[in-house]
Amino acid sequence: MEPQLSWYLALSAILFTIGVTGVIIKRNVIAMFMCIELMLNAVNLTFVAFASFFQDVTGQLFVFIVMTVAAAEAAVGLGIIIAIFRNRESLDVDDASILKL
Amino acid sequence: MLALLFILFAGLAIGCALGVVGQRNPLYSAISLIGVFISLACLYVMLAAPFIAAVQVIVYAGAIMVLVVFVIMLLNVEQEERGRKRLKFLVPTAVALAAILIAEVAFILVSVQEFRVTPTNATSDVGLTHSIGSQLFTRYLLPFEITSILLLMAIVGAMTLARRGGLLSPSARVIPGAQQFTRSMIDPDAAPDDLTLVETDTTDEAARLLGFDHRSHRDDSE
Repeated sequence: MEPQLSWYLALSAILFTIGVTGVIIKRNVIAMFMCIELMLNAVNLTFVAFASFFQDVTGQLFVFIVMTVAAAEAAVGLGIIIAIFRNRESLDVDDASILKL
Repeated sequence: MLALLFILFAGLAIGCALGVVGQRNPLYSAISLIGVFISLACLYVMLAAPFIAAVQVIVYAGAIMVLVVFVIMLLNVEQEERGRKRLKFLVPTAVALAAILIAEVAFILVSVQEFRVTPTNATSDVGLTHSIGSQLFTRYLLPFEITSILLLMAIVGAMTLARRGGLLSPSARVIPGAQQFTRSMIDPDAAPDDLTLVETDTTDEAARLLGFDHRSHRDDSE
Protein backbone atom coordinates (compact mmCIF):
# COMPACT_ATOMS: atom_id res chain seq x y z
CA MET A 1 0.00 0.00 0.00
CA GLU A 2 1.36 3.38 -1.01
CA PRO A 3 1.54 6.16 1.59
CA GLN A 4 -1.27 8.62 0.99
CA LEU A 5 -1.05 12.40 1.04
CA SER A 6 -3.20 12.46 4.17
CA TRP A 7 -0.60 10.37 6.00
CA TYR A 8 2.05 12.99 5.43
CA LEU A 9 -0.33 15.79 6.40
CA ALA A 10 -1.22 13.94 9.59
CA LEU A 11 2.44 13.42 10.47
CA SER A 12 3.13 17.08 9.78
CA ALA A 13 0.23 18.17 12.01
CA ILE A 14 1.43 15.91 14.81
CA LEU A 15 4.97 17.28 14.62
CA PHE A 16 3.64 20.85 14.55
CA THR A 17 1.49 20.14 17.60
CA ILE A 18 4.44 18.72 19.49
CA GLY A 19 6.39 21.87 18.60
CA VAL A 20 3.62 24.17 19.83
CA THR A 21 3.32 22.17 23.05
CA GLY A 22 7.06 22.48 23.56
CA VAL A 23 7.04 26.25 23.06
CA ILE A 24 4.26 26.56 25.65
CA ILE A 25 5.74 24.14 28.19
CA LYS A 26 9.48 24.75 28.01
CA ARG A 27 11.21 27.35 30.12
CA ASN A 28 14.67 27.24 28.61
CA VAL A 29 15.10 29.72 25.75
CA ILE A 30 17.24 27.33 23.70
CA ALA A 31 14.71 24.51 24.10
CA MET A 32 11.92 26.85 22.96
CA PHE A 33 14.07 27.82 19.99
CA MET A 34 14.47 24.16 19.03
CA CYS A 35 10.71 23.64 19.28
CA ILE A 36 10.25 26.51 16.81
CA GLU A 37 12.65 24.74 14.44
CA LEU A 38 10.48 21.64 14.85
CA MET A 39 7.38 23.61 13.80
CA LEU A 40 9.20 24.98 10.74
CA ASN A 41 10.14 21.44 9.76
CA ALA A 42 6.57 20.23 10.11
CA VAL A 43 5.46 22.93 7.66
CA ASN A 44 8.31 21.96 5.31
CA LEU A 45 7.01 18.40 5.27
CA THR A 46 3.58 19.68 4.19
CA PHE A 47 5.17 21.68 1.37
CA VAL A 48 7.21 18.76 0.10
CA ALA A 49 4.26 16.36 0.32
CA PHE A 50 2.01 18.66 -1.71
CA ALA A 51 4.79 19.36 -4.21
CA SER A 52 5.33 15.66 -4.70
CA PHE A 53 1.69 14.66 -4.99
CA PHE A 54 0.68 17.52 -7.30
CA GLN A 55 3.89 17.35 -9.37
CA ASP A 56 4.68 21.01 -8.80
CA VAL A 57 8.17 22.21 -7.96
CA THR A 58 6.95 25.43 -6.30
CA GLY A 59 6.48 23.72 -2.95
CA GLN A 60 10.08 22.60 -2.86
CA LEU A 61 11.25 26.11 -3.72
CA PHE A 62 9.34 27.41 -0.74
CA VAL A 63 10.98 24.78 1.45
CA PHE A 64 14.31 26.08 0.25
CA ILE A 65 13.36 29.63 1.23
CA VAL A 66 11.96 28.49 4.58
CA MET A 67 15.30 26.82 5.30
CA THR A 68 17.13 30.05 4.52
CA VAL A 69 14.83 31.99 6.83
CA ALA A 70 15.40 29.35 9.50
CA ALA A 71 19.16 29.77 9.14
CA ALA A 72 18.85 33.55 9.48
CA GLU A 73 16.55 33.06 12.45
CA ALA A 74 19.06 30.72 14.05
CA ALA A 75 21.88 33.25 13.70
CA VAL A 76 19.90 36.21 15.06
CA GLY A 77 18.03 34.17 17.67
CA LEU A 78 21.17 32.66 19.13
CA GLY A 79 22.77 36.13 19.15
CA ILE A 80 19.81 37.40 21.18
CA ILE A 81 20.07 34.38 23.51
CA ILE A 82 23.75 35.11 24.13
CA ALA A 83 22.96 38.78 24.80
CA ILE A 84 20.20 37.81 27.27
CA PHE A 85 22.51 35.34 29.00
CA ARG A 86 25.22 37.99 29.29
CA ASN A 87 22.82 40.44 30.92
CA ARG A 88 20.91 38.09 33.21
CA GLU A 89 23.16 35.06 33.74
CA SER A 90 20.14 32.86 33.07
CA LEU A 91 18.35 31.24 30.17
CA ASP A 92 15.00 30.94 31.94
CA VAL A 93 12.34 32.85 30.01
CA ASP A 94 10.64 33.81 33.26
CA ASP A 95 13.76 35.75 34.24
CA ALA A 96 13.55 37.65 30.96
CA SER A 97 9.84 38.40 31.11
CA ILE A 98 10.51 42.09 31.72
CA LEU A 99 12.32 43.67 28.79
CA LYS A 100 13.77 46.41 30.99
CA LEU A 101 17.25 45.61 32.21
CA MET B 1 6.87 -1.74 1.48
CA LEU B 2 6.70 2.06 1.13
CA ALA B 3 4.02 2.12 3.80
CA LEU B 4 6.31 0.21 6.14
CA LEU B 5 9.13 2.69 5.49
CA PHE B 6 6.73 5.58 6.08
CA ILE B 7 5.62 4.11 9.39
CA LEU B 8 9.24 3.53 10.41
CA PHE B 9 10.40 7.07 9.66
CA ALA B 10 7.22 8.72 10.89
CA GLY B 11 7.50 6.83 14.16
CA LEU B 12 11.13 7.82 14.46
CA ALA B 13 10.25 11.47 13.79
CA ILE B 14 7.42 11.54 16.33
CA GLY B 15 9.49 9.71 18.93
CA CYS B 16 12.41 12.08 18.53
CA ALA B 17 10.06 15.10 18.57
CA LEU B 18 8.60 13.89 21.86
CA GLY B 19 12.17 13.55 23.06
CA VAL B 20 12.85 17.19 22.16
CA VAL B 21 9.97 18.32 24.35
CA GLY B 22 10.46 15.72 27.08
CA GLN B 23 14.17 16.03 27.80
CA ARG B 24 15.24 18.37 30.57
CA ASN B 25 18.81 18.76 29.35
CA PRO B 26 18.90 21.03 26.26
CA LEU B 27 21.79 19.02 24.80
CA TYR B 28 19.68 15.85 24.72
CA SER B 29 16.88 17.90 23.16
CA ALA B 30 19.29 19.04 20.44
CA ILE B 31 20.36 15.48 19.67
CA SER B 32 16.71 14.35 19.50
CA LEU B 33 16.04 17.23 17.13
CA ILE B 34 18.83 15.98 14.86
CA GLY B 35 17.00 12.64 14.83
CA VAL B 36 13.82 14.43 13.69
CA PHE B 37 15.74 16.17 10.91
CA ILE B 38 17.32 12.95 9.67
CA SER B 39 14.05 11.03 9.60
CA LEU B 40 12.36 13.94 7.80
CA ALA B 41 15.16 13.85 5.23
CA CYS B 42 14.40 10.15 4.69
CA LEU B 43 10.72 11.04 4.19
CA TYR B 44 11.74 13.68 1.63
CA VAL B 45 13.63 11.02 -0.31
CA MET B 46 10.47 8.89 -0.25
CA LEU B 47 8.57 11.90 -1.63
CA ALA B 48 10.98 12.09 -4.61
CA ALA B 49 12.71 15.24 -3.37
CA PRO B 50 16.39 14.27 -3.15
CA PHE B 51 17.68 17.85 -3.34
CA ILE B 52 15.55 19.02 -0.41
CA ALA B 53 16.61 15.92 1.53
CA ALA B 54 20.29 16.73 0.99
CA VAL B 55 19.79 20.38 1.92
CA GLN B 56 17.84 19.29 4.99
CA VAL B 57 20.78 17.23 6.22
CA ILE B 58 23.42 19.79 5.32
CA VAL B 59 21.69 22.98 6.47
CA TYR B 60 19.51 21.79 9.34
CA ALA B 61 21.29 18.79 10.81
CA GLY B 62 24.65 20.26 9.88
CA ALA B 63 24.81 24.02 10.13
CA ILE B 64 21.90 25.08 12.35
CA MET B 65 22.25 22.30 14.90
CA VAL B 66 25.99 22.81 15.15
CA LEU B 67 25.24 26.46 15.94
CA VAL B 68 22.69 25.47 18.58
CA VAL B 69 24.95 22.86 20.18
CA PHE B 70 27.80 25.35 20.13
CA VAL B 71 25.70 27.93 21.99
CA ILE B 72 24.57 25.28 24.50
CA MET B 73 28.19 24.35 25.17
CA LEU B 74 29.27 28.00 25.28
CA LEU B 75 26.65 29.06 27.80
CA ASN B 76 27.12 25.93 29.94
CA VAL B 77 23.40 25.40 30.35
CA GLU B 78 22.38 23.48 33.44
CA GLN B 79 19.33 21.25 33.55
CA GLU B 80 15.97 22.81 34.22
CA GLU B 81 15.20 22.59 37.88
CA ARG B 82 11.98 20.82 38.70
CA GLY B 83 10.35 22.96 41.38
CA ARG B 84 9.24 26.55 40.76
CA LYS B 85 6.59 26.09 38.11
CA ARG B 86 5.65 28.96 35.90
CA LEU B 87 1.96 29.61 35.27
CA LYS B 88 0.35 26.39 36.38
CA PHE B 89 -2.39 26.27 33.76
CA LEU B 90 0.08 26.27 30.86
CA VAL B 91 0.80 22.55 30.82
CA PRO B 92 -2.87 21.43 30.85
CA THR B 93 -3.61 24.09 28.21
CA ALA B 94 -0.83 22.83 25.99
CA VAL B 95 -1.90 19.23 26.37
CA ALA B 96 -5.54 20.12 25.64
CA LEU B 97 -4.59 22.06 22.51
CA ALA B 98 -2.44 19.16 21.35
CA ALA B 99 -5.30 16.72 21.95
CA ILE B 100 -7.69 18.89 19.92
CA LEU B 101 -5.28 19.12 16.98
CA ILE B 102 -4.53 15.41 17.04
CA ALA B 103 -8.27 14.70 17.10
CA GLU B 104 -8.59 16.84 13.97
CA VAL B 105 -5.78 14.87 12.38
CA ALA B 106 -7.54 11.62 13.20
CA PHE B 107 -10.71 13.03 11.62
CA ILE B 108 -8.79 13.88 8.45
CA LEU B 109 -7.27 10.41 8.33
CA VAL B 110 -10.66 8.76 8.71
CA SER B 111 -12.71 10.97 6.41
CA VAL B 112 -10.29 11.91 3.62
CA GLN B 113 -8.87 8.45 3.11
CA GLU B 114 -10.90 8.02 -0.08
CA PHE B 115 -9.46 11.18 -1.62
CA ARG B 116 -7.06 9.70 -4.18
CA VAL B 117 -4.38 11.83 -5.73
CA THR B 118 -2.77 10.61 -8.92
CA PRO B 119 0.22 8.48 -7.95
CA THR B 120 3.69 9.94 -8.30
CA ASN B 121 5.05 9.62 -11.80
CA ALA B 122 8.45 7.97 -11.57
CA THR B 123 9.81 9.69 -14.67
CA SER B 124 9.02 13.22 -13.46
CA ASP B 125 11.93 15.57 -12.88
CA VAL B 126 10.17 17.50 -10.10
CA GLY B 127 12.47 17.62 -7.12
CA LEU B 128 15.69 17.17 -9.01
CA THR B 129 18.30 19.88 -8.72
CA HIS B 130 17.87 20.87 -12.36
CA SER B 131 14.18 21.74 -12.14
CA ILE B 132 14.55 23.49 -8.78
CA GLY B 133 17.47 25.56 -10.03
CA SER B 134 15.82 26.59 -13.29
CA GLN B 135 12.67 27.70 -11.47
CA LEU B 136 14.64 29.44 -8.72
CA PHE B 137 16.62 31.57 -11.14
CA THR B 138 13.81 32.42 -13.55
CA ARG B 139 10.33 32.58 -12.14
CA TYR B 140 11.25 32.94 -8.46
CA LEU B 141 14.26 35.21 -8.84
CA LEU B 142 12.78 38.01 -6.72
CA PRO B 143 12.15 35.83 -3.63
CA PHE B 144 15.66 34.45 -4.08
CA GLU B 145 17.19 37.94 -4.06
CA ILE B 146 15.07 39.02 -1.09
CA THR B 147 16.28 35.93 0.76
CA SER B 148 19.88 36.90 0.10
CA ILE B 149 19.24 40.37 1.52
CA LEU B 150 17.64 38.72 4.56
CA LEU B 151 20.75 36.61 5.08
CA LEU B 152 22.96 39.69 4.86
CA MET B 153 20.81 41.44 7.47
CA ALA B 154 20.99 38.34 9.66
CA ILE B 155 24.79 38.32 9.50
CA VAL B 156 25.01 42.00 10.46
CA GLY B 157 22.36 41.62 13.15
CA ALA B 158 24.00 38.56 14.70
CA MET B 159 27.39 40.29 14.82
CA THR B 160 25.88 43.42 16.36
CA LEU B 161 23.98 41.41 18.97
CA ALA B 162 26.77 39.07 19.96
CA ARG B 163 29.42 41.78 20.15
CA ARG B 164 30.35 42.91 23.61
CA GLY B 165 29.14 46.40 24.38
CA GLY B 166 31.14 49.33 25.63
CA LEU B 167 33.81 51.52 24.15
CA LEU B 168 36.69 49.08 24.20
CA SER B 169 36.08 45.87 26.09
CA PRO B 170 38.84 44.00 27.93
CA SER B 171 38.84 41.20 25.37
CA ALA B 172 39.02 43.51 22.37
CA ARG B 173 42.08 43.51 20.17
CA VAL B 174 42.97 46.64 18.27
CA ILE B 175 44.57 46.51 14.87
CA PRO B 176 48.33 47.21 14.88
CA GLY B 177 49.47 50.73 14.20
CA ALA B 178 50.18 53.85 16.18
CA GLN B 179 47.11 54.73 18.22
CA GLN B 180 46.34 56.71 21.31
CA PHE B 181 44.41 55.25 24.19
CA THR B 182 43.23 56.78 27.42
CA ARG B 183 43.42 54.85 30.64
CA SER B 184 39.64 54.85 30.97
CA MET B 185 39.33 52.97 27.69
CA ILE B 186 41.59 50.12 28.73
CA ASP B 187 41.38 49.73 32.50
CA PRO B 188 37.92 48.60 33.66
CA ASP B 189 38.69 49.78 37.19
CA ALA B 190 39.81 53.28 36.21
CA ALA B 191 37.63 56.32 36.63
CA PRO B 192 35.73 57.19 33.46
CA ASP B 193 37.33 60.63 33.30
CA ASP B 194 40.89 59.34 33.65
CA LEU B 195 42.25 60.55 30.34
CA THR B 196 45.93 59.66 30.73
CA LEU B 197 47.04 59.27 27.13
CA VAL B 198 49.48 56.70 25.89
CA GLU B 199 50.57 56.14 22.30
CA THR B 200 51.11 52.49 21.41
CA ASP B 201 50.52 49.81 18.84
CA THR B 202 48.19 47.46 20.68
CA THR B 203 45.91 47.49 23.69
CA ASP B 204 48.19 45.02 25.46
CA GLU B 205 51.17 47.30 25.04
CA ALA B 206 49.13 50.30 26.17
CA ALA B 207 48.11 48.40 29.28
CA ARG B 208 51.71 47.49 30.03
CA LEU B 209 52.87 51.10 29.61
CA LEU B 210 50.06 52.33 31.85
CA GLY B 211 51.25 49.87 34.47
CA PHE B 212 48.58 47.29 35.13
CA ASP B 213 47.92 43.73 34.05
CA HIS B 214 45.57 43.91 31.12
CA ARG B 215 45.53 40.15 30.52
CA SER B 216 44.29 39.27 33.98
CA HIS B 217 41.13 41.25 33.26
CA ARG B 218 40.72 39.34 30.03
CA ASP B 219 40.99 36.04 31.87
CA ASP B 220 38.43 37.19 34.41
CA SER B 221 35.95 38.09 31.73
CA GLU B 222 36.17 34.77 29.94
